[in-house]
Order: sequence, then C-alpha cells, then structure tokens
Amino acid sequence: MTEPLSRWSAAQTVGRGVRAAPALRHGIGLTVALAMAGAGGRVVVPVLVQQAIDRGLKAGEVRVDMVAWLAAIGITVIVFATWAQRTAVARLGSQSEEALYGLRVRLFEHIHRLSVADHTEERKGALVARVTSDVETLAQFFAWGGLAWLLDGTLMLTVAGVMLAYDWVLALVAFVVAAPLFYVLQRVQSYLSKAYDAARQDNADVLTQISEVVSGAETLRAYDAGAHYAAETEKISNRRSNSFIRAGTIGAFLFPSGEVFSVLTVSAVTVVGVWRGPAAGLTAGAMVGFIFLTYRFLEPIAEFTEVLDQTQTAIAGMRRVLGVLEIPVGPPEPTKPMPLPAGPLGITLDHVHFSYRSRTDEDEPPVLVDVDAVIPPGQQVAVVGETGSGKTTLGRLIARFADPTAGVVLLGGVPLTKVANVDLRSRLVVVPQEPFLFDGTIAANLVFARPTLTRAELDRAIAELDLTDWVDTLQDGLDTEVGQRGSQLSAGERQLVALVRASLVDPDVLVLDEATSSVDALTEVRIARALDKLAAGRTTIAIAHRLSTAARAHRVLVFERGRLVEDGPHHELVQRGGAYAAMYAAWVAATTSA
Amino acid sequence: MFRRQVGRIGRIGWGGLVERFTMDAIGSEVPARGGRMTQAFRLVRALLRGHKRLFFTAVAGAAVFATCTVLSSLVVRLIIDDIVVPRFDGKRVTVGTVAWILGALIFVGLVRAAGVIVRRTWAGRTSWRVTESITSQVIQRVVTQPAPWHRRQSTGDVITRAGVDAEAATAVLGPLPYASSVVVLVVLSGSWLIYTDPILGLGAVLVFPLLLVLNVIYQNKVDRHYNTAQDELGKLSAAVHESFDGVAVVKSFGAEARETERLAIIAGRLRSARLSAVRLRSTFEALLDGVPNVANILLVVGGAYRVRSGDLTVGELTSFVYLFTLLVFPLRLIGYALSELPRSQAGWSRIRELLDQPVEPDPARTLVRGTDNSVQLHDVWFNRDDNRDNNRDDNRDDNRDVLRGVTATVPAGRTVAIVGATGSGKTTLLDLVAGLVEPAKGTITVPAEGCLMVFQEPFMLAGTVRDNVTLGLPISDADVQRAIDVAEAGFVRDLPNGVDTLVGERGVGLSGGQRQRVVLARALVRRPAVLLLDDTTSALDPTTEAKVLANLRASLGDTTVLAVASRPSTIALADDVLFLRDGVVVAHGRHDEMMGSVASYRELIEAFEHDRAALDAEAAR
Repeated sequence: MTEPLSRWSAAQTVGRGVRAAPALRHGIGLTVALAMAGAGGRVVVPVLVQQAIDRGLKAGEVRVDMVAWLAAIGITVIVFATWAQRTAVARLGSQSEEALYGLRVRLFEHIHRLSVADHTEERKGALVARVTSDVETLAQFFAWGGLAWLLDGTLMLTVAGVMLAYDWVLALVAFVVAAPLFYVLQRVQSYLSKAYDAARQDNADVLTQISEVVSGAETLRAYDAGAHYAAETEKISNRRSNSFIRAGTIGAFLFPSGEVFSVLTVSAVTVVGVWRGPAAGLTAGAMVGFIFLTYRFLEPIAEFTEVLDQTQTAIAGMRRVLGVLEIPVGPPEPTKPMPLPAGPLGITLDHVHFSYRSRTDEDEPPVLVDVDAVIPPGQQVAVVGETGSGKTTLGRLIARFADPTAGVVLLGGVPLTKVANVDLRSRLVVVPQEPFLFDGTIAANLVFARPTLTRAELDRAIAELDLTDWVDTLQDGLDTEVGQRGSQLSAGERQLVALVRASLVDPDVLVLDEATSSVDALTEVRIARALDKLAAGRTTIAIAHRLSTAARAHRVLVFERGRLVEDGPHHELVQRGGAYAAMYAAWVAATTSA
Repeated sequence: MFRRQVGRIGRIGWGGLVERFTMDAIGSEVPARGGRMTQAFRLVRALLRGHKRLFFTAVAGAAVFATCTVLSSLVVRLIIDDIVVPRFDGKRVTVGTVAWILGALIFVGLVRAAGVIVRRTWAGRTSWRVTESITSQVIQRVVTQPAPWHRRQSTGDVITRAGVDAEAATAVLGPLPYASSVVVLVVLSGSWLIYTDPILGLGAVLVFPLLLVLNVIYQNKVDRHYNTAQDELGKLSAAVHESFDGVAVVKSFGAEARETERLAIIAGRLRSARLSAVRLRSTFEALLDGVPNVANILLVVGGAYRVRSGDLTVGELTSFVYLFTLLVFPLRLIGYALSELPRSQAGWSRIRELLDQPVEPDPARTLVRGTDNSVQLHDVWFNRDDNRDNNRDDNRDDNRDVLRGVTATVPAGRTVAIVGATGSGKTTLLDLVAGLVEPAKGTITVPAEGCLMVFQEPFMLAGTVRDNVTLGLPISDADVQRAIDVAEAGFVRDLPNGVDTLVGERGVGLSGGQRQRVVLARALVRRPAVLLLDDTTSALDPTTEAKVLANLRASLGDTTVLAVASRPSTIALADDVLFLRDGVVVAHGRHDEMMGSVASYRELIEAFEHDRAALDAEAAR
C-alpha cells in the first residue's frame, strides 16, 4: 500500500514489529532461559550413555548400581527440563497471543480512523486482509515457526556447548563439516520461497476464478460460456498444481539435507576420534556420546527448512501490517478544538481543491478545483453533475470524511479542521447512496446512531417521519432481522432505515447522497415523505441524481469535471441556457412517457 | 480413554492396535457407518481414483526411508562394537574396517535421504493432482447445473466446496505415505529390537503404544480447542468485514471507538480460545519429549544388566538407544497426520454432496420452439414455493414473485415494456421466457434460437473489457466495437488500453452504469432473436439512458425486446406495455391508451412521475 515499506529489511521489519506489539518483548529473556533449561533435557541421554559406558560398563566389570545412580540423576534432570520446556512454550504462546491481540486492536482503531479515501472499493479487501489473513500468518508463525526457533535454536546452542565441553577438537571438526549445510540451506531457501510465492499467487488466482465462475454461473449459462470458463478454470488449476509440485520438489530435496550432512559429520568425527585415540584423552563413552550429540545437533535442521519459509511469510505479513499502521489517519482530530455555534449552521467552501492520494508516484487528476460557495443556515442545496464531476467528493469534504488538499471548509464559521469529531457527528449526518446496515435487527441498526436511545424514542422518531405504517407491515416490526448488509430488506426499505437513523441524531446539517436504484412506488412515496420531514428546517446538501430533486431545492450547484460551473435556483439556471439547462432538457425528454 | 486403550492391546495385537488408534483419532467426527477404518480406506480409495501410481510411488519411498532408518541403527552398532570400543580397548582397528563401516553409514544415509525425497515429491504430486481433478469435477458440474439449482445454493457455499473443501479433502494424502512409513518403521524396529534382545526389546516396544496413545489423546483434545479457535477466527473475520464495509456509517455517526471496542471483544475471545490450546499444547509437547527420554534412560539401566550378564554388547545397547531416539519424531508426527483425517472426511463428504446431486433437467426444455421471433405465453403459472430461493443472499424483492395464468403474445420485432410494482412478477416473467425457470403450468413459445437475458445485476469477470463482451466466443473486433457503440459504452476507448483494459474482479474499477453498458454490449454482440432486459439501465444518468435506448431502437431490426421498466423513459421506448399486478396481466396495449383506460396503470405511472409533477408545479410558480 505504501511503497517505501517494501524496502525495509527483515531485521528492520522485526524491530518495528516488536515496537508495534510490545507484548512480544516482555519477559522474553526468561522465556529463552527456560527453553535453554528445557533443551538441557535432550542432552541427558547422550551424556548418560557416555557416563554409563565410561564408568559402569567397562569391559568385564559392569557396575549396575553406578548406572542406576546416574540414571536417577538423569531422570531428575529430565523432569526439571520437561517442566522448564512446558513453561517456556506456554509463555511464548501467551506472549504472542497477547501481542497479536494488541496488534489487531491497534489495526481496528487505525483503520477506522483512516480517511474514506483509503476505504475505496479496491482497497477495502486489502484492509480486511491485513487484519485477518496477514495477522493470521503471524499467528501461525508463532504457533509453529516461532516455537521451532525457540526450541530448536536453544537445543542447537545447548548441544553445541556440550560438544565443545567434551572435546573442542572433535566439536570443531563437526562444525566445519556441517558448516556448508547452512550455506546450502540459505541458497536453496531463496529458491524455495520464490517457488512458494508463485504457488500462492496461483492459488489465489484459482480461488478468484472459482468464485467468479460460481457467482456468475447463471450469466455464463445464459450466454453459453460455461464450457469456456470451465476449461479456463482447469487451465489455471493445472498451473497451480504445477507450481505447488515444483515448490514441493525443491522442499523435498532440502528436507533430508540435515540427514545427509549428519552421516558425513558422524563419519568425520569417527575418523578423527579414532585417529587421535585414547592418547588425546578421549574415551569410548565420549566417542559414543559425541556421535549421539552430532545427530542431535543436526536433527532440528529438517524442521528449520520448513520453518524458514514460514518465517519469511510471517515477515512479509508483518511488513504489510505495519504498512497499514503507517498510512496517516484520515482527517486528524484538532489539538485545540473550537466549539460550533448553537443554532442552525451554514457552510462555507473557501477555494476548495481536492485530489485523491495516489498509490503510485504519478499525480492523480484533481477531483475538485477551486470550489467557492457560501451556503446560509437552513438552505436546501442540490449538487448536480455527471458521474465523475466531483459532486460525491464535495459531500465527503463537507462531512469531513476527508480534508481538502487546499482551501477550507467552514461549518458555522468554524474551519472543519478545528471541530472535534464528537461535536461534528452530533451536528452533521450523512445518508449515503447505498445505506449500509449491520447484520441484526432494525432496532439495533437505529440505535447505532446513539446507543442510549430507548424504544419509545425510536417509535417517536419513526412517527415523526410518518413511517409507523411501514414498520407495522414488517413481520417483527423493529425486531425484524435485516440480514447481512440488510439483504433481507429491499433497497428502498434500507433507505428508510437510514433516514430514521439519521433523524435520531437530530442534526443541523444533512448530507444526502441520493439513491439511484429503482424502488417500488409505495416505498418511493414513503422515502419522499420522510425526506421532506427530515430536511425541513435543516441545512441540506443533496447530491442529486434526479433533476427533480434539484428542481425542488432552494439552490442548485452544477459541477463539471471538478469545477463549480453554475450556481443558482433551478428556474434561473434553466433560463440561463447553460450546462444545467442542457442536462435538464435531456432529462425531461427521457422521463416524459407519452 | 487412556485406560481403555491399554486394556485393548492384549486382545487386538499390533496391527489392530495401530488401526484402533487411527479410528479413535477420527472417531469423534466420523459417523459410524461401517468400520471407521473402512471409511478412511474408502475415502483414500475414492480420492486416489486415477492417481494410484503417484501415491504408491510415494509409499515406496516411505518404505525405503523406514528400512534405512532401521539399517542405520545397525551401522551405528557396527561403529561402536567394531571401531570405537576396540580402538579404546587398545586393540587394532584396520583402515579397511573403518572405511567399509563408514561407507555403509554414508550409503544408508544417502538412500534414506533419497527415500525421503521420493516420498515427499510424490506425496505432493498426489495431493495436487487429486485436488485438480476434484476442482475440475466441481466446476464442470457447476456450469452444467441450470438456474433453479443455482438459485437454491448459497454462492459462498459452492465456492467453498470447489476451493477450500477440495483442498481439505486431499489434505490427508500428504501425510499418508509418511504415516504408512511410520507403521513400517514401528513393525521393523520392534521386530529388530525383540530379535536382538527379547526382554529389553519387549520393554522398549511397549513404550510405542504409550507414546501413540499420548499423541492421539493430545491430538483429539487440541483439535477441539483449535476448532473453537477457528470458529472464533471466522466470527472475527466476518465482523471485520462488516465493520470495514460499513465504515461510512461508522464515521458519520462518530462510532469509531465503539466499533473498535466491539471488534476488540471478539478478538479477545479468539485470544482466549488460542490460549487454552497453547496451554494444553505446552503440557503435551513437554510430555511427548520427556516420556521417551525417561524411557531411554530406563533402557540404559536395563541394558546395563543385560551387558553384565553378557546377553548384549555395548554397541547393541547403544544402537537400541539410538533407534529409540530415531523413532520418537515419527511417532510424534503420526498423531498430526491422523488429525488431518476428519478434516478430509468432512471436505470430501461436502464435495460428494455436491457431485452426487444429479444434473437437473434444463427448464429451457419446456419452452416450445416457434418459427419466427415472436414470444407467446399461454396460461402460464409460476409458484415461488416450487423454486424457493431461500439460500440466496439477494434482495428479498427477487423472491416474492408469482404468476397466475399469464397469457400474452408479443409479435416478432416488437418492443414490449413490462410494467408493474415491485413484486408483481416482472422478473419472473423474463426468467420464464429466458428458460431459466420452468412454469408450473402453461406453455411458452419462443424462437428456435432462444432468448438472451441481460440480468439486473451486471455481472463482470476479472479480465479485459473485450473478454467480458465476448465471454470466450470468437467475435470480430468490428462486431465488438459496434456493440460498444450501440450500448453507449464508448468510454472504454478512453481507458488506458481501450477494450483490452483489464478490469478487476466483478468489474471493480468501473461504475455501476459503466458495467451495465458493457454487459449490454455483451448481449448485443450476439444478435439475439429475443432480447430480455431486466431493468438494465437503472444506474445510468438520464441523458445516457436516453441515448442507449434510442440506439437500441435503431439497431435492433427484427429482434423482439421484452424490457422490465420502472422509468417512464424506458416505458416510452416500447411499442406496447404489459402491465402486471400481483402476477396477473391487468392490461396489455399501448401506453397512451392504457393511461386513459386503466386507472391502476395510470396511478402507477403517476407514482413514477411523482417527481415530474412536483417539478412542473415548481416551474409554474
């Protein structure tokens, strides 16, 4: 989303990630120490075998009591180590869950505060993905990869330490022979992760394709295109299989590399050990113990090969998550808010310019250019213009969903940037084109306006908008479930709910984005009636798609390619013979039925 | 559970033991139809149809791996007994001995690695090829099923079956070869241990079931926690989706903090579900590490007795301990492998559910094919109960329509507007003529080549604008351009790559009105005998809509048009109007005549023109 982030190195990303989720750092030292102690449990057996061979199993005189004593000590150590490991794993788990929870909440908060310009249709999916799937890759990492790093990392360190303590020459031999393995791992790993990236991309393509073919099945059938798209899907699905098989094959070669290196290392250790012999202070037990330790040392390698890929995915996920947190929040809260004057509010647009922030470095064309207008309190204004003329954006600026790139919007004489959000939202309400309803009852959606509202207040508001008869037609009245996004209601009914919801705030300013979808006649009448009641006495900005709305307004603002080209009452503009008059003539022609 | 398992061992023996554990691992989720093991076997057999060779190559690799694992313990014994011990006892060890034993070590290691490579590579091939077959079967079925079938399904559910469920079903195939190698490994090494030293061997072998039981108990318990966590994650995703979708509402009511808090509560539930899983896991992981370690130590003590009595050499004892160490990891993983089984079963049964539904008869078969481009309906009835759309997540407007005895004739080349209030049966009428649904009663006569519907919802696919117009048909550029002109979709030429500009999934990047025009071009390019328009210009501004309608009228020739219309402008285009109310044809005739003679029609049109009336009053003032 924000490009510079991709330049962060893995270390920088992790550093920033830990700062964003401080729960990760708290007590990590103790967790690692406990994991070290836990790893100690895994060297008990090799050490015991060595001790038993050297002290208890000397040829001819087997001292079982000695072995039993050693075993008792060993078991004690293992019990302690088991406890330590359990505690370390539990600590890592709760630390990471705590951190992820914190990260999620930070994301929710941040994303809700982003400007609506960052909530466009295209980016919405990306934002949801950041909070769900990207944080999930982190969760998966902590549950498997992070754990492996903790346990296997401490195991390798502990085993290496014990090897050095036994015989530093043999230990060095082992390390030198095993060293190329790490080089091989790193090299192959980069191929592997590229292969998996490609495979994941192909997987996403398959899922997209499936979702399209299924949701468009009726259309594809009606247009006889089913076979074509089924074949297309098979092609993409075959490509996905090939990619995953390719990545899997690379992984398959990587996986047993620890295996191969451990037989080479054991051979080298045996040769050097046998060559040096007892003269160098080595014993048979030490040799056997050492061989065991060598296997233990390289044992986690197989797991690391799996985990490295997951680690990279997690770092990439973290980078994207941090990227969202880097997007500056939408209109910032004023540090020293100014109160809005009491009573009706007017709106002043003072040389307002606006362009959307570009995702690339290229300049996006401006959406609004030098808009200047003074709207007195209580005036009902219609904003008209073709799609892309900037009229919707104007509504957003007045509602302060975004700030102008240049110029000032004033509400009741106060610049919007100086108005506290709480203040603004209690005085100005937006009724969007496609009102959004949450899954739940109508009452729950209404109460969203103000959580303290009582049922009686809801009923009163509904009565004021003349909608009681409509509510009575609903199966469960206000307790009717609206379904996901209000899908159980018709488009018109959703608008009715939105109008009631807006009236509950009792705002001084209304910004109405007129609906385009067709609505049945009765609902249409209800909407018109409710709108009239709602708008009465309030400053109203209607983003109008029907010119009839414009004709009824006190004043019409006509936009063309971001510029305010005409401004005045309907009949004046019609007589003027300009852009508005032309639009109006076309509209009259289109809507005259006879 | 633990007690129950141990009690059984004596009676059922080794093979049965593994089988039982397998069964109990999957027991909780799989209905007891036939033996559970039989079911698992059936699942695998069904999945592997046509891909057996891949799978058995993987199994062969796994067997090589298991055999070499046991062999490697033999070599370790040789290293100790024939190299290390004599050397440190002051005896001579020849270079030849060292060379051949270490050579054997390296050779066995390499072969074992090769086994692993074959196993992993072919296991991956098996799963992905099987997934591919399943996806293709599901998609084939989806594109073959007619509209009524689709309307009964929830789109999201079918998508899940073709994508996620197909992957889930094959998830078991990945670890299966490995699991089979663990069985080989346990049997081989068990026999080998018992053969080397019956008493010590038996003791060691008895630890395997203990570990296996521990694993299975753990896997069962932890799966329950993971499932809970997965549910919570689903709820969180849904809530996040909804909350971000409604961000405009959230913002306009200043409810950002409230929404964050609401989501934080759901995220908190996910956290606690995950925490319980982590706690359980930490205990079991530690036990699964600790128990074999303790067993290993006891093995050394027992081994010391056997060495003293001369039944065992130091090398044999060491190779015992070594082999035991090697077994711990695979034994731990088998629990994981088995845990995929229920998920696969569930995925596969959901896929079977879809594939086992027979292809439904195409409603279009009930259409009578006429000789010209006219459309006739005779006493057509339609009941929504027979074609219930209860799973659909669309507007409820769509599901209310019924038709009661509709009779109408639309002569070839005429344009008829279908007018009526919401729920009067307009869309249903078009669906019937299009052959998307079949009437309960009555006959519908359409041209031999059928009718082409332009749906209310302009459906677009990710791809170029051209792809969206042709939908894979070989259509010339000139034809595409002409259709674009008629549909007033000339805006596509201003896009960066003209008609070859990529649009996103579902036409993201284009406005609703732009999508409607592209979709209209898609229909026009096919030069249909009958064009059915379901309110397909609703998102256009009046000026553009007027142009589109004028172009249509000029270019269609003898194409018959049935158009659902709710705007006076669309109605004005029509030669005739078919006025529906509550599923019955109230009137069929010319618009201006009906305005005079049909009171209810006039009322409806006046409601449509409500805006205009207010406007004229304003103008008069």
